Amino acid sequence: MTPAKIGSRALALACLLATAGPARAAGFALRPYLGVYADAAGAALAGPEGVACGDDRLVVSDPGNARLVSFQIKDGAVVAGKETKLSQATYPTRLVLEPDGSLLVLDGRKRQIVRLDAAGGFAGAIDFKPASALAFPRSLKEDPAGNLYVLDTTGKITVLDRAGKVTRQLEPPPADAGAAIFTDLAVDGTGKIYAVDAVAAAVWAADKSASALKPLTKSLKESIHFPSAMVVVGGRLLLVDQNGHGLVALGLDGSLLGRALEMGWSEGLVYYPTQVCVNSRGETFVADRNNNRIQMFLPAQ
Amino acid sequence: MRSTILSLSLALALPALPALAQSPKAPAKAGAAKPAPSGAAALEKKFKLKPGAGGKLCLDCHGNFEQTLQKASIHTPVRARECIGCHSPHAASHGKLLADEPGKVCATCHGDVVPAKAKSAHKPVAESKCIACHDPHGSAVAKNLVKPGAELCADCHKKLVEAASTAKRKHPPIEKSGCVACHDPHGSAKSTRLLKAAVPELCVGCHKVESAFFLGKHGNYPVGKERCTSCHDPHGSSQAGMLYDTVHPPVARAACAQCHEAPSSPTRFRTKAAGAALCKLCHTPRINQMMEKGRLHTPVLQGDACIACHSPHASPKPKLVRGNLVGVCGKCHPDTIQRQERSPTKHAPVANGECQSCHDPHSSELPLMLVDSNPINVCATCHNWEKHASHPIGVSFKDPRSKNLTLNCLSCHRAHGTEYKRLMPAPRTTDLCVKCHEQFKR
Repeated sequence: MTPAKIGSRALALACLLATAGPARAAGFALRPYLGVYADAAGAALAGPEGVACGDDRLVVSDPGNARLVSFQIKDGAVVAGKETKLSQATYPTRLVLEPDGSLLVLDGRKRQIVRLDAAGGFAGAIDFKPASALAFPRSLKEDPAGNLYVLDTTGKITVLDRAGKVTRQLEPPPADAGAAIFTDLAVDGTGKIYAVDAVAAAVWAADKSASALKPLTKSLKESIHFPSAMVVVGGRLLLVDQNGHGLVALGLDGSLLGRALEMGWSEGLVYYPTQVCVNSRGETFVADRNNNRIQMFLPAQ
Repeated sequence: MRSTILSLSLALALPALPALAQSPKAPAKAGAAKPAPSGAAALEKKFKLKPGAGGKLCLDCHGNFEQTLQKASIHTPVRARECIGCHSPHAASHGKLLADEPGKVCATCHGDVVPAKAKSAHKPVAESKCIACHDPHGSAVAKNLVKPGAELCADCHKKLVEAASTAKRKHPPIEKSGCVACHDPHGSAKSTRLLKAAVPELCVGCHKVESAFFLGKHGNYPVGKERCTSCHDPHGSSQAGMLYDTVHPPVARAACAQCHEAPSSPTRFRTKAAGAALCKLCHTPRINQMMEKGRLHTPVLQGDACIACHSPHASPKPKLVRGNLVGVCGKCHPDTIQRQERSPTKHAPVANGECQSCHDPHSSELPLMLVDSNPINVCATCHNWEKHASHPIGVSFKDPRSKNLTLNCLSCHRAHGTEYKRLMPAPRTTDLCVKCHEQFKR
């Protein structure tokens, strides 16, 4: 792949901003920019599951190698991948990169959330105790105020403030409400919580003051096969369609804006993508899990 | 000469048909008001036929009906010699000179066999294939059936009928009356599966649920309003009490209180713990084993947990799985199942519901809950890949399309099917080959 120039990246950012907001966000397209395959020592990624990114940093959870890899984003390139292995997180799945550079890691095996400081050192586990002994965190997100939103394996969402105090809890919708399997959650700037049901391919939402999730969309099965992850970015929801091999953009009102990417092995194509993150420049990083790589995309011009 | 012989044959045959004298088309009694013309009479008038020519005349040529007319069950119009009730005597737009499409012809008299607001209808009825079960002229079997009851049903429901007839513990109504003891063969307004009433109403018609015997057999839990078929196989079984072949041991012991509150409790059917926590009371090692792995299948802990896939009481499937995995797994993964259904080439494990051949349904260290990190090993359990092709595959061969991949079966095939043959993700073999061998692309 030919690396794009910085000028084109700036243009791409302008395009992203221009399409932000439900009223103007018609259509959704990405263009491939580069693939990330290994750390600085040449150790290849193996089933990278999660991505977290800022403007100058990309962190990848690489459970196939029981490690995290932290890259620098510099001059349009993703470089200097540094490996971190932690005994507290041997199967890292989901990541949240905090503004101060520290990192929250959800570990699949120990089923706990741990914090790493900006230098990559272990800084303790989040004191999160679901109601049931057999409930564990499944996904997590953080809002700009530092409140932590945890989706657990029972489908319950718990909000913790920076001190770790539980400030809000949303029970999973009752079985007769039609909800099935929540795979991820997201939170927008207003504190509104979104949860995605992979089986029905539907999004649920709860305003900041709401006590329960309500359906935001009907089943989007015709457009999404099995959404595994979701983020709020640029005034819209970006869903990763794991089994449908693509990304789907929705307006915050649940309207379908468009779909990007296709299944395949060559760069620009994805094979069971799992998670996505987008930085303020609109650079989109996709954990292209079954291709054992991270792909970076820019908004199509 | 021929017509003379036929007339004689009919004359001999007619006394053997007692219903003939009670034909609904028989002339009205003397002294009654002017009779309305019968169906045959109206049709004879329509076709300007001589009186009686609507059927008797036909037999002059269709002499093979001699045998039919001697059968035990004769279709009323045939018995009344009203061939024109179903057939047009001159010309027709439908086969066999039928006056209308086959199902519509039958519906002129039998339009009410399926209730107006049916909850279920038999497929042949819905498809107007009445003659799949009935002979439109005559049969040795009552109701003009082409075969006796269970034998007829077995034409489509072979496994079910065989299982019912060979079961160690048979359901008496089936032995006595066959399938129609519980099912209406046309349609049911009261239940799915053509049942004459919904379960348990159908069952309690025979089983006295208030009796001490019944309660004792059910651990003194009043299960009379519960769904009997969640534990019992109504078609017979090898298990005592006609339970499904795989029985949860506490159920077999009628030790319901092992999982449920005591039968004297006002909330007696409530379980002692919720979700997987209840199952863990006995299955601790198994659940701990699942928990050791990096990926847990979501239903293991969410919602109904174990019972999302396993029946807590009894099941016809091993390991108490609720049914064929095409249905069980397809409940949450319909796209995967549908992809297989659309695929011109079927992958046997998917078609047969053997999802567990490749995926661990509980937990795994691997993406997609695969049972082995090397797809070649998974495929090799059925396919001898070394004899499959001369194309190099294995960890020594890099995939030219993606440098962190090596070539394996999934480099060219998709296990759940594609829209193309041989599970390939391209319409032609060459389209796939040139993805890597670009120098040959034209």
